[in-house]
Amino acid sequence: MVFLTLSCWIRNRGPDRYWKVQELLKNARHFRGRKNRCYSLAVRAVRRAFIYASKARKAKRRNMRQLWISRIAAASREHHMKYPALVHNLLKSSVQLNRRVLCDLSITEPRSFLALAKLARARQQEGFRAALGDGNEPPGVFSRITQLS
Amino acid sequence: MSSFSRSAQQWATFARSWFLIDARMQPPGKIASMCSVRLQGKHKPIYHPLSDIGDHVVVMNTRHIAFSGNKWEQKVYSSHTGYPGSFKQLTAAQMHKKDPTAVLPEDILKNLTEELPQPREIPRKLSEYTQEERDTFPMLWTPPEDYKMK
Repeated sequence: MVFLTLSCWIRNRGPDRYWKVQELLKNARHFRGRKNRCYSLAVRAVRRAFIYASKARKAKRRNMRQLWISRIAAASREHHMKYPALVHNLLKSSVQLNRRVLCDLSITEPRSFLALAKLARARQQEGFRAALGDGNEPPGVFSRITQLS
Repeated sequence: MSSFSRSAQQWATFARSWFLIDARMQPPGKIASMCSVRLQGKHKPIYHPLSDIGDHVVVMNTRHIAFSGNKWEQKVYSSHTGYPGSFKQLTAAQMHKKDPTAVLPEDILKNLTEELPQPREIPRKLSEYTQEERDTFPMLWTPPEDYKMK
């Protein structure tokens, strides 16, 4: 036997278990049931919560873009234009506003959005005239803008 | 609009409107899609799936709804409650007979904000054309005097 005296039987375990447990439980305080108090249950629940949060950070970008697109579509339909037509014609006129900005304009700056819709409509009509017309008419004003990228 | 107070502007933005659509001689699918867009609130740029911004839609003259093609005989509405022997299949014609028609109540008529344009143009009957239009319409051929029309 190695530990012959009483003082050698004492083991020093880790000194800060309490703080490590609290650090995990602080992420579980808003959970329902015993998951917000008991460490073993909380460990599993907190790990799941973090995994969901990581997946959601990627999904948030997708959902926000989808919301912007549906809002821009609604606003452009108010001005008698469809979303794909609006976006394609703005791209052809080299207006490089992204969907987030277009959505914000449609909500807070309705007249600016109307102006953009009219620009897209004019470019669309010029495109139709170029495709269906004789080719003798002079090309329109907006078609002369070269599309950036 | 900028002179309104914040609360008044908020109230006006999120208010619910009433739409009226006349379904006489219209395809029911197109009517349904127009109604669904407005009921969800997808016609507003402030749309969000969690917010309650849909509007009311009143559809009148549903008795005179018009399916195209042979759908009155061919389109089948099927339903099953889950219990054995309860698979029901009704053709569109039978389904339509069950549908009751109602008169527009007065309080709806008072609230109507806007009437929606009909998706399909209704062609005119021969009796609705004026005599001048009937005369000026081009004829492909003139029948000889002794031609017998059935």
